Amino acid sequence: MNPLCKPWEHAASRRQFLGASAGTLGGLGGLLSAPAAEALRAREKQVLFVWLDGGMSQLESWDPKPNTEFGGPFRAIRTSVPGTHFSELLPQCAKQAHRLCVVRNVSTQDNAHSSGVARIQRGDPKNRGVAYPFFGSAIAKLMGPTASKLPPYVWVKPGSGGFKTEDAGFLGPRYGSLAFGDGKAPEDLLRHASITAAEDVERNELRELFNRRYAAPRRPAHTEASSFVFDTALELMKRQDMFDTSKFPAKDLDRYGRTELGQHLLLARTMLEAGVRFVKVGSYGWDTHGDNFNAHASLVPKFDRAFAAVIEDLAASGRLANTLVIVMSEFGRTPRINGHAGRDHWPEAWSVAMAGCGLNAGVVVGSTTEKGTEVKDKGHDIGALFHTWFRALGIDSSKTEYDNNGQPLPLAHEDMVAIKEALA
Amino acid sequence: MQWPKKTAAHLSALALGAAMATALGVPGALAAAPLHPRVDELVAAKATASGQRLAAPAADAEFLRRAWLDFAGTIPSATQARQFIADPSPTKRAQLIGRLMAAPTFAERMAEVFNIQLMERNGDSEDWRGYLRAAFATNRPWDQMTREMLSPDFKDASLRGAGHFITRRLEKVGQQETDYPGLTRDVGRLFMGVDLQCCQCHRHLTVKEYKQVDFNGLFTVFSNARLQAAAGDYKTPWVQEGLMTNKYEFVSVLNQVKGSTGPRVPLGAEVPLPDPAKDPLWIVPPNTKTRSAGVPKFSALGELSRRMASPENPYFARNIANRIWWQFMGRGLVEPLDLHHAENPASHPELIDTLAKELVAHRYDLKWLVGELALTQAYQRTGVLPAGAPAAPVELFTAALERPLSAEQFLRAVLAALGEQERIVEGRGWEGLAGPRHTLKEFETTFLGALANAPREPELAVNPTLRAALFLRNNDRVQWLLERRRGNLVDRVASMTDTAAMADELSLAIFTRPAAAEEKAALATHLQRNAGERERALGRFAWAMISSIEFFTNH
Repeated sequence: MNPLCKPWEHAASRRQFLGASAGTLGGLGGLLSAPAAEALRAREKQVLFVWLDGGMSQLESWDPKPNTEFGGPFRAIRTSVPGTHFSELLPQCAKQAHRLCVVRNVSTQDNAHSSGVARIQRGDPKNRGVAYPFFGSAIAKLMGPTASKLPPYVWVKPGSGGFKTEDAGFLGPRYGSLAFGDGKAPEDLLRHASITAAEDVERNELRELFNRRYAAPRRPAHTEASSFVFDTALELMKRQDMFDTSKFPAKDLDRYGRTELGQHLLLARTMLEAGVRFVKVGSYGWDTHGDNFNAHASLVPKFDRAFAAVIEDLAASGRLANTLVIVMSEFGRTPRINGHAGRDHWPEAWSVAMAGCGLNAGVVVGSTTEKGTEVKDKGHDIGALFHTWFRALGIDSSKTEYDNNGQPLPLAHEDMVAIKEALA
Repeated sequence: MQWPKKTAAHLSALALGAAMATALGVPGALAAAPLHPRVDELVAAKATASGQRLAAPAADAEFLRRAWLDFAGTIPSATQARQFIADPSPTKRAQLIGRLMAAPTFAERMAEVFNIQLMERNGDSEDWRGYLRAAFATNRPWDQMTREMLSPDFKDASLRGAGHFITRRLEKVGQQETDYPGLTRDVGRLFMGVDLQCCQCHRHLTVKEYKQVDFNGLFTVFSNARLQAAAGDYKTPWVQEGLMTNKYEFVSVLNQVKGSTGPRVPLGAEVPLPDPAKDPLWIVPPNTKTRSAGVPKFSALGELSRRMASPENPYFARNIANRIWWQFMGRGLVEPLDLHHAENPASHPELIDTLAKELVAHRYDLKWLVGELALTQAYQRTGVLPAGAPAAPVELFTAALERPLSAEQFLRAVLAALGEQERIVEGRGWEGLAGPRHTLKEFETTFLGALANAPREPELAVNPTLRAALFLRNNDRVQWLLERRRGNLVDRVASMTDTAAMADELSLAIFTRPAAAEEKAALATHLQRNAGERERALGRFAWAMISSIEFFTNH
């Protein structure tokens, strides 16, 4: 059991989080004295979710099969955990292996991108005709913002930014993500050039005066909701520097790599430090149907460097103990190499790497057959991973349910259970 | 403030009924028995039975803002507010409602309300908007509008816009299949108040009456329609119905029991299919040479819409009565709006029955119903809760409930409040001004982008969002409205000297009410502290007002 994640803490903090998200929109900051809030913030659980869109090859990363029929040209290298080997494309992650928990017997259901991306990120529960939330929206609902009051679900991604509501499913758009497109702050995030910080504070106090006067003889809910979003906006604006990669130290920029994914993971670390509950980082271009090996030789080292750096930094600051880190795709890639030296979609047997809060460190869970074509035992579907993640964050997914307008819905597939070997 | 004495209220109601009947074009015989006193009796009876007090009548200013937002879609000017508050006439409220409902802006407002409710921000079209405006301008009955939307005449220039309800929903998005189930669900939800989604695959697990046959009886009608591109006689996308001679077969995923149905009004009777042995099948037979698909004699859309929009279907009138009540009262008598069934009774069962029955008797005349609701005490009560008692449950309607402003209402209200309506809406008053000329289109895009819900997300409640907060705090156009410019609110107030009068002018223009003492004091302090930059300080004060929850809601 992780010394920083005691069961009684899970129970206590969860009640408060649910209270915070269920109505007292002021969040924990409003319920606790400042030092208590500070102490709690240090313990608050967070999530870093790295999404490699298109499907990273497990054979060129976490589950190498050198010198076998489908193994490909890359070697396997030793890691910091004796007996565990990664692909030679992951030299930095190999040095962090003692902090990782790699599940090598992931076996899922969907081999199409169009449906698989959403299906995996929703945890592929039983079909009840409702769209389940993506993991980030689920956590935004179940745990709410941290004491920082920053938006609970932020998505750093290439391309467009803004408010992305589709991840939220039946939870409703308020549990969608705030997306930093190309790592940049969304529209209207920066304080208007014609207003100084002092003027902004002054006019916001006036706004609160009007709100208080209006709310006094009425039901308070709408006014509280309004104050909450204006406060959240202010918290975001106060941290403008946090979103400006050009202000990051050169040393960090180099360590993470001056690549898109590198900068985005550095931004993600900064957001976690600032108190964002759930940060998702997206990377595209992993769908290597042709020229798989050159593509992975180019892509994986960029990921390797950035991911190892963020694990190292989170561990050094002590945050890793309270931060659940996950890296995955919608599926793995076929062991069989196709006629274009590519690998196709392979949900049958692939790997997910994790680290941090509530998980065993330095372990490999499950294995695949000699050629990597199948999982050796029955494997773990995405539902089991969802249960594992909820448990790692202190949420009992076998007992907690969503309430969708009176329709009780399990958090994750009810026929599946958490992966015991992964949990601390 | 007191309600007029009971007899006086009834008398004035009768007089007003006649006055409104003229304004609304309602036959005198029907208007002679007004509905609104009965509504108030039923609401009061329920409150009393629940041991709750009713709130006082709204102050004139509170009523004025509410009525303008509801019937004109915007707020009145400071001058109009002063005039109304000063008017001593005991019938001024009913007169105002009559005036606002007789103005062309009322049809615009109703068209907007129905566009938002029916399309749920899922795509717009000029023809569709034009259709709604024309329908409400001529006070077309709701059953007729429903038939026009669900069985559209795509060749008639004045009616084809109604087809947008169906055609937009059948457009392909990305790699997804054509969303026939989505259209089926929406027809059930929006026209009958029954969300049958669960019944696509099995009987509803929590609602006894909703059966798999109910969803599929609708589904078979819509999945028989194919979306076609505009061409030839068709100036817009249109749907072509196929020949329908067989029942639709389905299987329950719960118990694998098979079922089948022809077209069917949900929770109603099945429509008999034509018999290929007896009935002629085609109006225009298919022609392989011209590649024409032909026109079947049996139109499932026509049959369905006729039977759905009919007094035989009790859900039809109840749904629209409940939705109109929700629109003007802030909460449905049945909630959620799309879950009418026996075990989910209305908060006021007799009231919803009365509204539905009277609406049928008035031939689905929505303008009549809206006019009656506007005259109720329930509509005209204050939103301030009675002092000294805990808040009553919202479903008792003891005090006015806060309702969301649509993005459109918010934009119009903010332009009116800050005195930039003329420049932005009418394009006048730009002479000699530096900087770019802004357009209404530009403002609409920006404000809708920040304040409207995501597509397919019903706008049902006051919903302050982070996006809206960031927009109000930092957006360039919002900031532009608050700069001093010839003739705008900040300009007008900056040229005044007495701070109490300045506070009143700001408050009447923005909140449609005089300023409170506390607010006058706040303005005086604020101006003293910022003596060196008075105009900008006034801009910030006005910002605090338009960003407050008081401005953000219809209360």
